[in-house]
Amino acid sequence: MKVEKISRSPLEELKRHVGVIQEAFKQAVIPDRVTIEYPRERRKYPENLRGFIVLDKSRCISCFRCAQICPANAIQMSYFENFYPGIDYTKCIFCHFCVESCPTGALASSTLHDMAFKSLEDMKVKPNQMMRLPATIREDVQSVEYDVTKKGWRLIRKMELEDIKVVRILPKLKPRRAFCLEPESCLGCRQCMEVCPHEAIVMERCEITLEGQIVGKGCVLKITEKCVGCGLCVRQCPMKILSLKEVE
Amino acid sequence: MIEMKEFHLDIPVEPPKELESLFLPIPREYVEDTYKKDEFLVLVGPQHPGSGHMRLIVRVKGDIIQEVIPDPGYVHRCVEKIAENRLYIQNIPLVERPSIMDSANFNLGYVRAIEAAMDIEVPERAKFIRTILAELCRIGTHLYDAAILAVFIGHTTGFMYPFGIRELICESLVRMTGARFTSSFIVPGGVRRDVDEKTLRWVYDATFAIEKRLKSFERIFIKNPTVIARLRDVGVLSKEEAIKFGVVGPFLRASGVEYDTRVVEPYEAYEELTWDIVTADEGDGYARFMVRVNEVSQSLSIIRQCITSMPDGSYISEQIGEVRGNFFDKFADIVLPAGEYTTLTEAARGTLLFTIVSDGESNVPYRMRIVSPGWLYLRGFMEALKGERLADLQAIYGSFGYFPPEADR
Amino acid sequence: MISTLFEIFKSNMVQIPLIQPIIDYLMQIPLINFIVALILWRPFFAVVIIPGLTVLLLYLLYIVWFERKLTARVQWRVGPLEVARPIRGAIQALADGLRYFFQEAIVHKEAHRPYFVQLPILAFIPILLPIAFIPAGNVVGIKSPYAVQLVVAFLALIPITIIAIGWASNNRFAFIGSVREALIYVSYEIPFIIAVISMIYLYGSGDPYVAVEKQSIVPGAIMNPIAFLVFIIAMLMATSRLPFEIPEADQEIAFGPFVEYSGMLFGLVMVLAYEKLYVMALLFVILFLGGWSGFYCELLGDLNAPLWLFIKTIIVISILAIVRSMYARYRIDQAVRYSFSWLIALSIVALVIGIAVGWIV
Repeated sequence: MKVEKISRSPLEELKRHVGVIQEAFKQAVIPDRVTIEYPRERRKYPENLRGFIVLDKSRCISCFRCAQICPANAIQMSYFENFYPGIDYTKCIFCHFCVESCPTGALASSTLHDMAFKSLEDMKVKPNQMMRLPATIREDVQSVEYDVTKKGWRLIRKMELEDIKVVRILPKLKPRRAFCLEPESCLGCRQCMEVCPHEAIVMERCEITLEGQIVGKGCVLKITEKCVGCGLCVRQCPMKILSLKEVE
Repeated sequence: MIEMKEFHLDIPVEPPKELESLFLPIPREYVEDTYKKDEFLVLVGPQHPGSGHMRLIVRVKGDIIQEVIPDPGYVHRCVEKIAENRLYIQNIPLVERPSIMDSANFNLGYVRAIEAAMDIEVPERAKFIRTILAELCRIGTHLYDAAILAVFIGHTTGFMYPFGIRELICESLVRMTGARFTSSFIVPGGVRRDVDEKTLRWVYDATFAIEKRLKSFERIFIKNPTVIARLRDVGVLSKEEAIKFGVVGPFLRASGVEYDTRVVEPYEAYEELTWDIVTADEGDGYARFMVRVNEVSQSLSIIRQCITSMPDGSYISEQIGEVRGNFFDKFADIVLPAGEYTTLTEAARGTLLFTIVSDGESNVPYRMRIVSPGWLYLRGFMEALKGERLADLQAIYGSFGYFPPEADR
Repeated sequence: MISTLFEIFKSNMVQIPLIQPIIDYLMQIPLINFIVALILWRPFFAVVIIPGLTVLLLYLLYIVWFERKLTARVQWRVGPLEVARPIRGAIQALADGLRYFFQEAIVHKEAHRPYFVQLPILAFIPILLPIAFIPAGNVVGIKSPYAVQLVVAFLALIPITIIAIGWASNNRFAFIGSVREALIYVSYEIPFIIAVISMIYLYGSGDPYVAVEKQSIVPGAIMNPIAFLVFIIAMLMATSRLPFEIPEADQEIAFGPFVEYSGMLFGLVMVLAYEKLYVMALLFVILFLGGWSGFYCELLGDLNAPLWLFIKTIIVISILAIVRSMYARYRIDQAVRYSFSWLIALSIVALVIGIAVGWIV
């Protein structure tokens, strides 16, 4: 498709001038304004806006996945009976990879996007500060919504307040448990036992058998009922013989 | 035409001291030679209302520009080097950041290189969603470039209108992905979440609202006689010159060459939709601008076709399965087989090249190379400036839409 | 000596029936009656109050705010709002002016210091002197039958100060701005003078009183519409308003001759263009829109004419403010070419029409 040529005749120039003047005067009389007078008005955002992240401690299994996937290294796990994630908002880029990685849905997004902190140290949010939305002092008196139809785009102002809420979507995953694929390849290095945050792996003495004959003593790991399926032992095992399996 | 004779007076000339104290990439002999030939150097530096984030060293004789030497690199952020230390999936937010409005195209180029390496099959629905995202970002970039062109020639209304229209594009991106731009939504195998019917209806209506507001923009800026007088016959690049200097994208198409990566090597859903390549003949500033304006309407029609003929199916390939909750397990440890994988994508400003070199064992790339379109057409931009007046520097800069963060990476 | 001065003042006072009782009361108090007689002495009133300095300051306060609001309305936004929120930000210019007082006025090392600092102040002389000559009914500073020509002559001195300001800054961009100012000065001055001459021919003399009298039936804009158009375009070119904002191109040469100014000196140079627009608009209203004639209100007496003149000037400038949001900026060679080909041709046509209509009427 070719771009059409612009004619140079003076009559066309005059028509273009008239078009410009017409448009400017029309806007001066009936403006198509789209300004939102923040903070006296707030705009209603759709629910999937990526905002402040909220943690539900009862669902968190300390799997460290969020901290390991974060592209900006913004999540630090802090210890408080168990490891829970705290987010450093000086580094967070709101990509929500952590929310997508969480296997139990402990991390949830919310529609709060314009938080303000009083100092740089306050921006490193601890896990117990992330349990619910921060207390907000609302200065707005009305809310604005975009009304987009085939006829055009305009703003609709209503005297109700926008509600800021937490949107938690649970992944469709059943709870999982770790299990050993090949117990005979186990070295007995005990790295899985040391890395497990829930102390769910114990080492047991066993006897090594070869063709039915007992030839020596060794130890093998046993995964107890405390296992929540965090997967840290799976990543740690040097022989790569551990894996996760769904539990009914 | 009266011929003017020039008389050279042999007075010893001392170049100004500031040209030595600023670390300019030009030798001292060049500066002295300029001043002896009765021309002078104007530094349109990084702190100039009309220069973007780079310095242009302009050699001016009277009011005519003789030569321009660019001094880019103020926004170099070592994207390629940082990428060597991050996992493949963690590089996705990194490679979208150079060109902020055009993030879906950069994201798409990178992810297609990974899919080509690992032979991942993308389902149809995901291809259509990716095409919608790429076209929305293309429209956003063209609007941004039109606004910068307007402000460079002094038309502040022409600056405000495209940014207002771009708000609708950002709102469409929020409804589809969750973030206004740099959404990191495209992952190897498809997209991160499914898009439901209500959102697609909203985006469909939004295209009509955008077109209506574009009509106001057309009357007050595109058909404005002062704008036409400023951009017509300015910075002309003929067809041979454009090809010789390696110009890409809509600036090449404005000089008469019909080349578009989406037609030459089609990817995503572009083969299944009907659309046209926009070309122009004159190769001047106004043609470059009009090519981009018409590409916006072509992109709007592509989005509408994608929405009306969106196939059902899954949004992610079966090799990956559901994304939510499994993001870490499926993507964190991907290792590409050894070799070098290259993709070409049509970003908004031209052809974008991604190359990933992998050594077969590590879960970080060995080397990632991005060649952005700004870097490719910089030479053509400098050549188009020769022989024009000093006031045309900003007009040509705006008509090329040079964006230093994208060119410097 | 004071009593002779007092007699001079008292004989030529402005008569305003509305506040006459207060004035009569104040004239009986010994010291205050001298001050009141001085303020209401017609030349003093014309130069300092209306249409002079006080009203000029009010106009500056108004026009900066109005232009920003009008431009914002065209551009889908709101404009300045926060300074005094109940009146929608009307004293924004006052806030800006106070801020300039607190900023440091930097004089850089390479500048020619005496000229750099004093020229913005000297530039006010050719701008404020014409106000003494422009009459408004009975209220006039210096009555002269050549007032129109004098105003045009003073207006021709202003660009010289701007060129000197650019030269004194000793900066590459200021130099380019000065050269552009010189070129555009040459290109608008000739059509402007020819348009004014055509109106002088039409009215038969350069006396504003004659001009306003002859417009009692039909305003000058209808008698000679081509001169009307030429004057408007010359007004846009003279005061560096878009589409001819060439000497002060913000994006190309970083604000031209005024690039090195900051603080209160910048405040002074910023208002130069607005005041020149005010003087040219006063001349425009007298020549083309009937001057100070309007409907006569008994209570105001002598204050009628200056008020009408001021209101008409404000309306003209407010309508011209919208041109800023409509057009982009021309290049210098395009402006010079259009001016020397189209504008001079139009102004010669206006001259012919002026002579013809002047001979008929």
